[in-house]
Amino acid sequence: MMRLCWPLLLLSFLPPGNLRADSELQKFFRQNCIKCHGPEDPQGDVRLDGSVDILTASTELLETITSLIEAGEMPPEGSPQPSPETVTKITHLLQQQILAQRPANPLRRLTRVEYTNALHDLFGIEFDLFNLLPPDHVEHGFDRFGDAQLMSPHQLMAYLTTARFVSERLLPDARPNTQTWEFDVRHFHGSRNFATGGGGDYRDGDEYVLTGFRPYRSNLHLSIDPERHDQFVIPAFGVYRLEVKARATSSREDEVIGINLGDGRHPTSFRSIRRIPMPHGADGFTTQLTLRAGDQPGFTFDSARVPGRSLAKKPHKGPDLRFSSVRLTGPLAEEWPAPAMRAILPQPNMPPGELVDHLAMLLTQRPLSVEDRARFVKIGRQQQTRGASQVAVARSLLTALLSSPHFLFKAESPELTDVERAYRLSWFLWNSVPDAALLTAAESGELRQNPMAQVERMLSDAKAGRFVDDFTRQWLQLEKVDNFGPDVRVFKDVRRMTVDSMKREARELFRHLLENGLSMEHFIDSNFVMANDRLARFYGLPSVAGDGFVPVTLPETSERGGLVAQAGFLKLTSTDFATSPIHRGSWILRNLYNEKIDPPADVLIKEPDIRGTTTVREAILKHQELKSCARCHSKIDPLGFALEYYDPVGRKRDQYRHVEEVPADDEATTFTKKIKFTRAPIHAAMKLPGGRQVYDMLSLKAALMEDKERILKGIIGKLVSYAHGREVTRADRGHVDAIFESVAKENFSLRAAIHAIVAHPAFGRK
Amino acid sequence: MKRRTVLSGAGVALLLPRMESLGQVSETHPPRRLLTIVNHLSFYQPELIPESDGAFGNAPSLLDALSDHFEHLKVFSGLANPAVQNGFGHTPCVGILSGYFNKLERRNRLSIDQAIADLIGGDTRFKSLVFQAGENLNFSQISWDRHGLPVKQIDSPRRIFNLLFQVDEKHATQKQVLAEDRSILDALFQQARSMKKRLNATDRAKLDEYLTSVREVEQTVKRREYWADRDRPQVDYELADFDRRSVDDYVATLLDLAVLALETDSTRAVTVQIPFWEGFRESELSGNYHDLSHHGQKPEKIKKLLMMEHAILTRICDALGTMKRRSAGHSSVFDQTTVLLTASMGSANAHNFDDLPALVFDGRMKKTGHWQKRDMPMSNLYLGLLQMFGAEQDRFGESTSALEVLA
Repeated sequence: MMRLCWPLLLLSFLPPGNLRADSELQKFFRQNCIKCHGPEDPQGDVRLDGSVDILTASTELLETITSLIEAGEMPPEGSPQPSPETVTKITHLLQQQILAQRPANPLRRLTRVEYTNALHDLFGIEFDLFNLLPPDHVEHGFDRFGDAQLMSPHQLMAYLTTARFVSERLLPDARPNTQTWEFDVRHFHGSRNFATGGGGDYRDGDEYVLTGFRPYRSNLHLSIDPERHDQFVIPAFGVYRLEVKARATSSREDEVIGINLGDGRHPTSFRSIRRIPMPHGADGFTTQLTLRAGDQPGFTFDSARVPGRSLAKKPHKGPDLRFSSVRLTGPLAEEWPAPAMRAILPQPNMPPGELVDHLAMLLTQRPLSVEDRARFVKIGRQQQTRGASQVAVARSLLTALLSSPHFLFKAESPELTDVERAYRLSWFLWNSVPDAALLTAAESGELRQNPMAQVERMLSDAKAGRFVDDFTRQWLQLEKVDNFGPDVRVFKDVRRMTVDSMKREARELFRHLLENGLSMEHFIDSNFVMANDRLARFYGLPSVAGDGFVPVTLPETSERGGLVAQAGFLKLTSTDFATSPIHRGSWILRNLYNEKIDPPADVLIKEPDIRGTTTVREAILKHQELKSCARCHSKIDPLGFALEYYDPVGRKRDQYRHVEEVPADDEATTFTKKIKFTRAPIHAAMKLPGGRQVYDMLSLKAALMEDKERILKGIIGKLVSYAHGREVTRADRGHVDAIFESVAKENFSLRAAIHAIVAHPAFGRK
Repeated sequence: MKRRTVLSGAGVALLLPRMESLGQVSETHPPRRLLTIVNHLSFYQPELIPESDGAFGNAPSLLDALSDHFEHLKVFSGLANPAVQNGFGHTPCVGILSGYFNKLERRNRLSIDQAIADLIGGDTRFKSLVFQAGENLNFSQISWDRHGLPVKQIDSPRRIFNLLFQVDEKHATQKQVLAEDRSILDALFQQARSMKKRLNATDRAKLDEYLTSVREVEQTVKRREYWADRDRPQVDYELADFDRRSVDDYVATLLDLAVLALETDSTRAVTVQIPFWEGFRESELSGNYHDLSHHGQKPEKIKKLLMMEHAILTRICDALGTMKRRSAGHSSVFDQTTVLLTASMGSANAHNFDDLPALVFDGRMKKTGHWQKRDMPMSNLYLGLLQMFGAEQDRFGESTSALEVLA
């Protein structure tokens, strides 16, 4: 049977033969391209003299060719140019070819984030699974594309281990024994107890005082025995309540306490898990955390003004944080059996068959096929024969189902069923499984006919915050904002929490536009920014109270507003001490214009010899001298250079300040190396390929605004990619254009764009 | 430091008798082992590679760090990986041991360490172990299984130590769990197979990945069941606190563990990837490693870079020395082991993936010295190694012939 199907299958992959179109393309290539892209020494290793079949074998090459011809970049300047009509006709033909060649959207599996959220929504418990599941591959900026999602023995083993971990924690054999521990100043220990020396923390009467911030170490950890410094260790997995009495002194604003896990003495095991804002004048906080056996909780002063340094040389003057007591209660088991146990095992003594059916529906809303069902039932029976308890049987079955393709893969029919549509929408806007109301709307057909009401409901739900987080994090690479900590020797007024706020700004802008139905043009330029107390001060704006973000109208003279003027973007594209115009330019092209820019595969990068150059500009402009580099760098460099008036942390500057580390003296350590500054003038002006001159932030934003249509389509493309779990390419041009047109009628509202993406017929297809 | 004193002291005593059957090191036919070391940011080759072919005369400064082992060393230079695509930052570095990288594919090809592990790894607790002395960067994966999928690279010395030597306290539960795992895997396999029937060609390939993975994990589970019944070896080695930003702690500790893993016959193939990137804690090493690797031919940067590379090579030299002092059965660990040392790039200044250096240490080495090659595929060396380990194949990746390693 299989054998017979093969020829048919192959045929369906071939593009629809169109002899006339083929010969027209060949004619065009022959007339315009093969002089350089012929058999002899083809430029860029690209040959366009073969038959069209060979030419179109690589979709990527086809897309590149189409883009270059359309943009007028090929044939290059100086060669005879085809007429505009010919260009339109040829790009149209190529576009059709691309559309015909588009591969089917492949099967996707849950990402690590989706898996975690799904378990949270299904069982109401917050597991930190990030140490158990391997990170997902990121392709074209996103981790949810089917073709990038690998399955490997390592991955499968991780699924099995994670599923077992989850099942054991959700279905314990006995009610956990809740304990309470009380700690006061006698049990508090800081950096002074250890060989690393004083980190700016000390005991003062009944309080333990933190003055500085050490990102890789805890300044305050807990021990049971006042005489010893062994760290307190969480005995069992569960939810713990943490009540802390602490206050800030000499402070006039909100401070931030970091909660961390790991041995506070050893940087390698140290992990920050939560930041707690302490409003001005507060005397402590209460929170709940899911902790695992072996965790060692500790605290840091995250909004400290100075790094944690010895107070012996220089006494501390600024704000400090004073801890007087900590009370920890857990694992909490206020309800028993816990709600998750009741959801998994609704009745006692369910036979394995019923339990399998129940779990399959609970996890995916899809029944298992008869034969699959039998296999899982067998596992349950085997366990029963071994004398396992009902709870143990349920654990095995849950472990099996959570590791199965039934749960891990997002099964989708070519035309989505109503339930599948609910799932796709839910993965898009909630990063998780649908709730009962969404499933009801799907089953009644309402979701298919008029998704608007459900989309509105979902966007108003707190779970939409996950979409905002996950999408902005991946689209704008926000994780990179704090890749490099600002060096306190150079950036004296930039502190940990300033960077934290920079990282949040883009997300907050997205959230604000989404919640208020505002225009996506604000991503390009805007008369307001989203800011909290620290960011407003950093930008020199009218002061804002508190750690929460609010819109702040910009004064006439401010250059801020829009993504490219955000400190987060300016910082994430820089290194420790230097800005990188190339990173900045390519970030704009990739993320705003949604352009693909990779160096061509055949370019052998010559050893960059930069001895003769004196400025970054000279060094970088060397790229443009090489023909193979110039095609992209003529686009990248002007965008990046226009931003050179902004330093590595996104502050305005009027000259370069090169930083050099002076070799340490004999006794000095890495942390006390001296630095030397050299100043140099900035030359930012450069011409974009179309001839427009950009020379600073404002002229850059003006140029971007002129490209509004392309950029908004680029952003829509990113949203469509995310919603559909595949890369949006030229083949999707019609799709993206349609959404752009419908959003244009709504004043480019971001919220309208989400609605349009969901309402588009493509959203209902695999 | 505790770690150093223990190692240079009386040696690592095996406190438990060797395991019978599978775990036993034969006295008449000692097993062959492989230790592969890759330095991500490469080495400054003018100071590593001698100017001329043949015996090591006046060795350049970096090579000189390995002079203790010249009598067992062959240095190849100018090797290339023609199937590694250029020009994507550091990403092509993932292809150093497989000789392959295509940016359109997430998969790679079988890497040489795993190819050899497949040959020699069946009799030990671990088929192979892959360590990573440094940050998990997007491009630090170098070890690929025969499906072209990433092999777990462990970066925590503590986890490696526990894996190798810790007594398993939950032995009984562990056995029960493994039995349960097997029945679960069986169900998963069947379910994936029936789901596959309902899908189109692209998606079937996705399910195939899943099916292959289940089969592999089943094998792993079976192996674990076997080894769960046998005690782990015990060693007189104390893992001191370590610092990720220290060459001395991190690189040396992982190399110690590599030697211990071979010595206790826990595995016969160990790979150590060194993707160090940032600065080091040691006061004599200043500057950011990656930054310095882009030295732009500036002498002052090269000087600092060489100190870092020298520090790494010294640790490697020490590890080889330890291997010579330690025995497994009747011969030294070094005598049983072939050591391959290479780098992911020819030069980190240029990001080129040809002109690669490869250093091979082997106790049976007949001729020693330097061999300058031109555009010879690295895979020729890999094929030579494979054949040396008893493989019958006559191709590996892009190989054109087999390089003679020992003669």
